[in-house]
Amino acid sequence: MVYDMLIPSIPVIVGYLSTFILFRRGLIRKSLHVNIWNFVIGVAFLISGGAGFLLMVLMEIGVKLPISPQLLYWHIELGITLALVTVFHFHTYWKTSRTMFGLKRRPRI
Amino acid sequence: MKERLISALASIPIVAAMTMSGACAATCPYGMVNDPYPGQCSRYIDINVDGICDFSQATATASDQGASTTYSDPQSSENSGSAGFDVHLEDGNNVSSLHDDGFAFDNGQVHSDGTGYFILPVSILLISAYLFTHYLFSKGIINRQRHRRFWNLFVTAGYLGTGVTGVLLIFIINLGVRTVLNPNITFLHAELAILMVVGTMIHIHLYWKPFKKIFKVLFNLKSYSNKKKHEKVPRLSE
Repeated sequence: MVYDMLIPSIPVIVGYLSTFILFRRGLIRKSLHVNIWNFVIGVAFLISGGAGFLLMVLMEIGVKLPISPQLLYWHIELGITLALVTVFHFHTYWKTSRTMFGLKRRPRI
Repeated sequence: MKERLISALASIPIVAAMTMSGACAATCPYGMVNDPYPGQCSRYIDINVDGICDFSQATATASDQGASTTYSDPQSSENSGSAGFDVHLEDGNNVSSLHDDGFAFDNGQVHSDGTGYFILPVSILLISAYLFTHYLFSKGIINRQRHRRFWNLFVTAGYLGTGVTGVLLIFIINLGVRTVLNPNITFLHAELAILMVVGTMIHIHLYWKPFKKIFKVLFNLKSYSNKKKHEKVPRLSE
């Protein structure tokens, strides 16, 4: 079994660039662009994180469901999406992120 | 008292791992049957060199002591069913050279069957820490910005760690790489995932208003109180 890395990543990259360009050209509001990607990160987290957490709990209690291999597959595929969208999330909230990491320059007095 | 409780909870998975039998550890934790090379997870192990993960086989043989062993190329057997070429190895030493030394760490004695991930202790610890900082914030001991920054850093660490180890695991699985570090990376991935999941819940709680706004903006969903307000107050544009 080999996992696809391009299928879950290319649509996300193209989608983010599309909404970003549309927002920069003033065709859509910033709130729409931001909320679309907040929603995507939420869904990716829910599926990937949820499946992963469920698998871990099942392993802890020693239960093997027939859908466990499928859960593992979707956990990984959506995990790739989640990793990418997390990067975009930092890009969207870059100003806040800079402050959080202490990278923001303080104005000279 | 709380520390005692946490240490007692933390010791449960260790005791479970120590008392775990070898037969229990030698089954696929995901319930997969005849999982071919390179396997669906980083626990792929193939002692009998038949190109199928031993954990996923009902009768996996764990003996590589024999003088003659048949080796089927996993890649070719994946592509053409079981029609892989056979290589007969006469020397037992050569057989052992097919496996890396890390096998001993990857034989499912500690982590491979899922026990020892400390879900409860780590989750309880994180939630307790959040409740503590939330209490400090509500009492005015720490400000909102510091409180948020602290938990944002935690959730970032969780995402970064889970993401990096996850991508690393995909490469390990896709390329069929087997190293001593495989079970450690899986363990680290699972532990950081707990931090990520609990951290995300905390993140949503910290940013509850922007979270609700997602549904308002995308699906035009408004809460009952807001709807009533809009019904009462006439729009300025009208």
